[in-house]
Amino acid sequence: MQATLTIKLARVAIVIAIFALWEMLSRTGLVNPRLLPSASDTLMTLGDLLQRSSVRTDLLVTATEVLTAFAIAVPMGALIGFLIAENRYFADVAKPLLFFAFSIPKSIFLPMFILVFGVGFAQKVGFGFFSTIFIVIMSTTTAVESVKVEHLTVARSYGATRAQTAFRVYLPSMLPVLLEALRISMIFNLTGVILAEMYASRDGIGHQIATWGENFQMKQLLAGVVMVAAIAMTFNELIRWVETRCSHWRT
Amino acid sequence: MQPLANVTPLKPPPRAGAIEVRNVGQVFRTKSQDVVALEDVSLDIKPGRFVVLVGPSGCGKSTLLMMMAGLRAQTSGTITVNGAPIPQPDPNRVGVVFQEASLFPWLTAEDNVEFPLALRGVAKAERRAKAQDALKLVGLEGFGKRHPHELSGGMKQRVSIARGLVQDPPVLLMDEPFAALDEQTRMTMGDELLRIWAATGKTVVFVTHSLTEAVYLADEVIVMSPRPGRIVDQLQVNLPRPRTYEMLSGDAFGALRDRIWRHIRKSA
Repeated sequence: MQATLTIKLARVAIVIAIFALWEMLSRTGLVNPRLLPSASDTLMTLGDLLQRSSVRTDLLVTATEVLTAFAIAVPMGALIGFLIAENRYFADVAKPLLFFAFSIPKSIFLPMFILVFGVGFAQKVGFGFFSTIFIVIMSTTTAVESVKVEHLTVARSYGATRAQTAFRVYLPSMLPVLLEALRISMIFNLTGVILAEMYASRDGIGHQIATWGENFQMKQLLAGVVMVAAIAMTFNELIRWVETRCSHWRT
Repeated sequence: MQPLANVTPLKPPPRAGAIEVRNVGQVFRTKSQDVVALEDVSLDIKPGRFVVLVGPSGCGKSTLLMMMAGLRAQTSGTITVNGAPIPQPDPNRVGVVFQEASLFPWLTAEDNVEFPLALRGVAKAERRAKAQDALKLVGLEGFGKRHPHELSGGMKQRVSIARGLVQDPPVLLMDEPFAALDEQTRMTMGDELLRIWAATGKTVVFVTHSLTEAVYLADEVIVMSPRPGRIVDQLQVNLPRPRTYEMLSGDAFGALRDRIWRHIRKSA
C-alpha cells in the first residue's frame, strides 16, 4: 500500500484532531474532567508512570508472559498447522473442528484456567497460549495451501531434494502469510494475557489498569491505556514493515 | 521488445536428444473404475526435431510429456530419453517449460533462471554468467533484475524458456507454454521459440491445443484422441523454414490444419 504525502498528512491530522478534541472536551468542562482528564495531563501522567519502578516491573511481567506464551504457541501451532495441511486426511478431519474451536470466545474459559493453574504466571501464559494457538494453526494451514502445485512441480523437474524444496519453495511461498499470521497472533496473545491479568492477577500491566479503574484513578487509567496501545501498535507496525519487505512480489 | 537478429546464436550442441516411446500405457486407478489415460503409445523422436503433440482435453498429451520429463511413471511400456530410461527428472537431459504461473514470484528473472543451477550448488559467478547468456538468448538482456510481476506474459515465458535452457539439456519439453498469452503475443513467441530452437539445435516436444500453432511450429505433428489416449495420426510438416506469417493462409498450411481438425472433431 503506497501512501502519498497528502494521505499521510491527513492521517497525522486526524490523530492530532482526536487529541485536540479530547483536550478541548476536558478543558472546557463539556465532559467532566474527573471522568476524562485532559490529553496533556494523561501524557504527563504517562511520563511519571514510566519513571516508577513498580510500573516498569509490571510491564516486564506482562512482557515476559506475552513472549513466553507466544514462544510456545507459535512454533507449536505452526507445526500442528503444517502437519494438518500436509496430510489430506488430517486436513479433512480437523479443519471444521478448528473452525468450531476458533469461533468460541476464549474468555469464557478463563475461570477454568484460574481453577487449574491458580492465580499467577502459569494461568496467564496458559490463557495467552490458548487464545493464540488456534489462529496460528489456521493461518499455517492457509500458508501451506498458498504454496502452488506448479512451483513444486518446477522444483521437482529440476531435481530439488526435499530440503531444497522446503527452503526454496515452501518457505518463501509461505513467508508473507506466516508473517501476517505472526502479527495477528500477537494481537490475540496480548489480548489473552492482559485479560487474564485484569480478571485475576497480582501483577502485570493489565492488573494495574484494572486496579486504577476500580480506584477511579482516571489519569493513570488513561495513561495505561495509551501505553499498552502504543506498545501493541509498535509491535504490529514492526512486523508489517518486515512483511512489506518480504512480500513486495505479492500483487 | 528489441529485435533479436543481432543475438549471437549459441553453438548447436552435438546431435543428441532422441526420445523413444515404446508401447506406453497409463491407467489411473480410482475407487469406482480404472481410467485408461494412455494406451499403447509408441513414438520416435529424432534429435533436433520440433515435435508438437495436439489433441482435445483428456487425450493424455500432457501426461505423455510429464512421463518424458520423468515427472510421472507409466503403467506399462518404456520411454528412453537420449538412450536411457528416465525414472525421475534429470535436468541434464531434459529442461521443462510450464504454463505461465511457473516462475517463482519472489525471485528476480535471473534468479529464476539460475534456480536449476543453484539446486546443484553451482558457484554464484558461474550461475550468473550462464543465466545472463540464457536471458540474452531469449531476448531479455537487461531484464534480469526484474521480478515476474514486473514482466509481461510473453516476457515471463521467455524467462521460463531461459530457465529450461540454462543447463543446456539436449531436450526441451514444453507444456502449453503460450496458452495463457493473447493472440499477438502468442504469434511473436512462436517465432521467438523457432529462432531459439534453430540457434540451439534442441529436440523440442511441445504440447498445445492450438492447431494453427501446431502446424506453424512443427516438423511433425502428433495427433492424439481421448478415452483411451492414443496416437491417431502423425503428420510431417514440410513447409519451408523460416516459417512466415504468410504461410498461415497458404493451401499447404490449410490442408494440414484441416487434417488435424478432422481427427479432433471425430473424437470430441
